[in-house]
Amino acid sequence: MSAMPAADPDATRPIAPPATRSKIGPVLVAFAIGTAASVSLGVYGRLHNPTGQAINLAGFSSGLAAKTWLATAAFFFGLVQIVTAMGVMGKIKMPSWVSRVHRWSGRIAVALTVPVAVHCLYALGFQGYSVRVLVHSLFGCFFFGAFICKMLILTREDSPSWVLPTLGGAVFSGLTALWMTAALWFFTTHGLTF
Amino acid sequence: MTHRSPLVTLAGLVIAFAIMFGVNLANSAPRSGEYANPSASASASPTPTTEVQSPAATEKASPAATPSKTATQAPKTEQFPHKIVYAGRTKDRSTALAVAVLGGRAAAYVCDGRSVESWLRGTATDGEVKLTSKTGDKLEAKLNDGVLTGTIEVRDRKHTFAIKEAKKPAGLYRARGSKTVIGWIILEDGSEVGIETDEGGTSKAAPQLNPDQPKVTANGEDLNAAPVEGDEDI
Repeated sequence: MSAMPAADPDATRPIAPPATRSKIGPVLVAFAIGTAASVSLGVYGRLHNPTGQAINLAGFSSGLAAKTWLATAAFFFGLVQIVTAMGVMGKIKMPSWVSRVHRWSGRIAVALTVPVAVHCLYALGFQGYSVRVLVHSLFGCFFFGAFICKMLILTREDSPSWVLPTLGGAVFSGLTALWMTAALWFFTTHGLTF
Repeated sequence: MTHRSPLVTLAGLVIAFAIMFGVNLANSAPRSGEYANPSASASASPTPTTEVQSPAATEKASPAATPSKTATQAPKTEQFPHKIVYAGRTKDRSTALAVAVLGGRAAAYVCDGRSVESWLRGTATDGEVKLTSKTGDKLEAKLNDGVLTGTIEVRDRKHTFAIKEAKKPAGLYRARGSKTVIGWIILEDGSEVGIETDEGGTSKAAPQLNPDQPKVTANGEDLNAAPVEGDEDI
């Protein structure tokens, strides 16, 4: 899997296979916690009485436009994530600081989604009145659960090698689905406006 | 564990969520009944009039918000979402009404399912709707906590109402043909109220509408029922 030297001070994880045997137990615990988070978000979104409140961000024509662009910025960083992930795994030859870029672009991407997600949950709730909206609601819950799961698994070094790439892919796919069912929809119905 | 920074990231995420929730809560209109707010008392009991959300759900909405609100005396104006439809019945349950809002414009329909109906047009800004019909009927209402509360004056009869958002398939529909105009209000409990008016001005109860099959036949014509948007020309 690796083409990089093992003694790299910038790497968060040793690229060489870990000395301990991989364990599935902690992975399952992480999955359970992530699932609980996803379900909680969904339940909250369903039970909470949506307020229909708009948020306002200076420079944008509407709260909806503000969310769309925040989400698009998050999606951009998500793309950075995919590319740097391949660098971290050694699939693409990249300098050693690619891990740092991967971690920070990930933090920025998720941070950008927070105001969008909170507003979605609080003002609109978990909805199913159209396929687009149902898919968005489902993936909204899924995305954060998958992200939490990934963070938990990253605290250890004994997860099977397929776990992190799978979770990373799941998080990215979730973000893509969310972006397409909301931001892309906004752009196709309202035009590419700010 | 070996690495702590992912947990730091997670903690950051949770804190960011909490902050943004706080911001959203602070920006919402205050809970009704907590202040000497005249429009709040009118919407103090929306549940009987709208038969939509269970009281438990409304109560759960923000249990933490109420105590922190007592400091604010001048509540921020609640804004309409860009696109929304409210539907329900008047306080005396005799008449159904629906108000469609789209980007600051509003279209409304008031209908008792027998002979009284009115199509109104107007504006929806800063949480207030003001609509009038071609025959002088008036609808005025204010948005408070997601409930549209106000009065409708049709043919010199005044009704009060407090209605909530109608989610599809509930809402306001219209079918227009060369000879007939039909308006329907589908309420959240699934019931329907509609009136069919021909070009002579005679009104009668509308045929049943199934929102999934929007074709109806009236006066020998095949009509297509479509949802009414707030900026529609009525």
